[in-house]
Amino acid sequence: MPVSEGWSADTAVEEMYAAHYRSLVRLSVLLVRDVETAEEVVQDAFVAMHGRWRRLREPDKALAYLRQCVVNRSRSVLRHRGVRARHVPAPPLEGPGSDADVMAAERRTHVLDALRELPERQREVLVLRYYLDLTEARIAETLGISRGAVKSHASRGAARLRELLEDVHE
Amino acid sequence: MNEHIRDEERLRQMLDDAVSDVEPRHTLREIRDRTATRSRHGWMWVAGAAAVATAATVTAVVVFGGGPGTTGAQRPGFADGSPTDRATSEQPVTRSAGLPVYYVGDTGRGPRLFREFFSPIDRVGTTEAEFAVSVAVSESPADPDYRTDWPALTFANVEIDGDMLTVSFGGDPESNLRERALGMSPAEARLAVQQLVYTAQAAVDEPAPVRFLLFGETTDRLLGIPIAETRSADDPSEVLAQVWIDKPAEGQIVQREFEVSGLANAFEATVQWELMQGAEVVKRGFTTAEECCTMAPYSFMVTAPPGDYTLVVHDSDPSGGEGFPPWEDTKQITVE
Repeated sequence: MPVSEGWSADTAVEEMYAAHYRSLVRLSVLLVRDVETAEEVVQDAFVAMHGRWRRLREPDKALAYLRQCVVNRSRSVLRHRGVRARHVPAPPLEGPGSDADVMAAERRTHVLDALRELPERQREVLVLRYYLDLTEARIAETLGISRGAVKSHASRGAARLRELLEDVHE
Repeated sequence: MNEHIRDEERLRQMLDDAVSDVEPRHTLREIRDRTATRSRHGWMWVAGAAAVATAATVTAVVVFGGGPGTTGAQRPGFADGSPTDRATSEQPVTRSAGLPVYYVGDTGRGPRLFREFFSPIDRVGTTEAEFAVSVAVSESPADPDYRTDWPALTFANVEIDGDMLTVSFGGDPESNLRERALGMSPAEARLAVQQLVYTAQAAVDEPAPVRFLLFGETTDRLLGIPIAETRSADDPSEVLAQVWIDKPAEGQIVQREFEVSGLANAFEATVQWELMQGAEVVKRGFTTAEECCTMAPYSFMVTAPPGDYTLVVHDSDPSGGEGFPPWEDTKQITVE
């Protein structure tokens, strides 16, 4: 992590944006599916982090805060904006698409759609565990649940996801 | 088990691949624009009128702007300078100017609760209770005299179940929410809990009992306070600051004639006020709250020339200076 002594809130936002914005947007897409919504969620999280910087003061705390914000807001947005269409068609490929490209796009769509079918907590735990590679303890802290619950959501979620994706398993 | 590890690896690759083509389209600039609204409009006042020698040395630039950008949206829309564009038929407790979020502030009688207001447009995508409680715990208030005492990475979610409110905490591994932090007094710990009880109840407009979970499980202690049972709001006379300025908000720009309103439990229901620049009192007056002996509404009009001011509202001191300091609330405002 870069040295952050004396970072202003504005600098913190710049540094954290450069290092983490894209991966946080991707994190949110795994949770909410829609890229535009995910960007709104992550932008809100950065604005909140800016407001909170005085009490965070370190990049690793700021990153933990951003992740919590993104997960919490993603959850809220899903609950209160309603469910999007079940099958969001993959965006049309630009240029001559090879068969491999088409298959890759379809595979992505399937995975994202399948994630959307999981119960909220299972989806969150799977994403934090297998996309962010967080430890069980860290997932428990981020979500405010017990470690036992993390284990249980992870194993059930993984089983269910496998079921949903049996046809696209490689 | 090899297969298990292979499965985990597969899951990792699958999730990674699923978003590998996601490229953000929005820029740092947009985030900066939202936060710049806050900091450009932030208050740079040296705390305490006594610390400023003359009005001429006041360099604060106060322009009303967005609050602690939880969603980057504006505070109650007074930026157009019309402080009376909200319905003012308030019940004494809540909702006069939006959704209240409670914060802790220091008074002559120890820490007490004050509040700030959020307008509906701030709350896209969340319930009022969720928004209010998460802001109370994690956002710095606009008024520099207020604060939240919860540790920096504390997160609180709220669920409403029948008539019970459940506040669930998660947070920073370095802060142990079961125990009181070093330097936190028992009074502050109690207030931090009451801050959330009041906030959650105000959001649902019901004195619903509140229970607390820590990492999804009931806990016997929160900030060193036994918490196994549900909590109700403690006696307002023990927990709330007894004079509140609800309107105008901290940092607000107002017109030359503007309304001040709030709640006060003042001696003989008499509320006094001053409009100050530095140590100089530019205007003063008094008014009577609607009733005595309980937090009751007051309001009055002020006319002042353009400039930056500290508005102070307080009750009178019946002891003639020998007892506790009067209850007071202050706001930095700009008259344009």
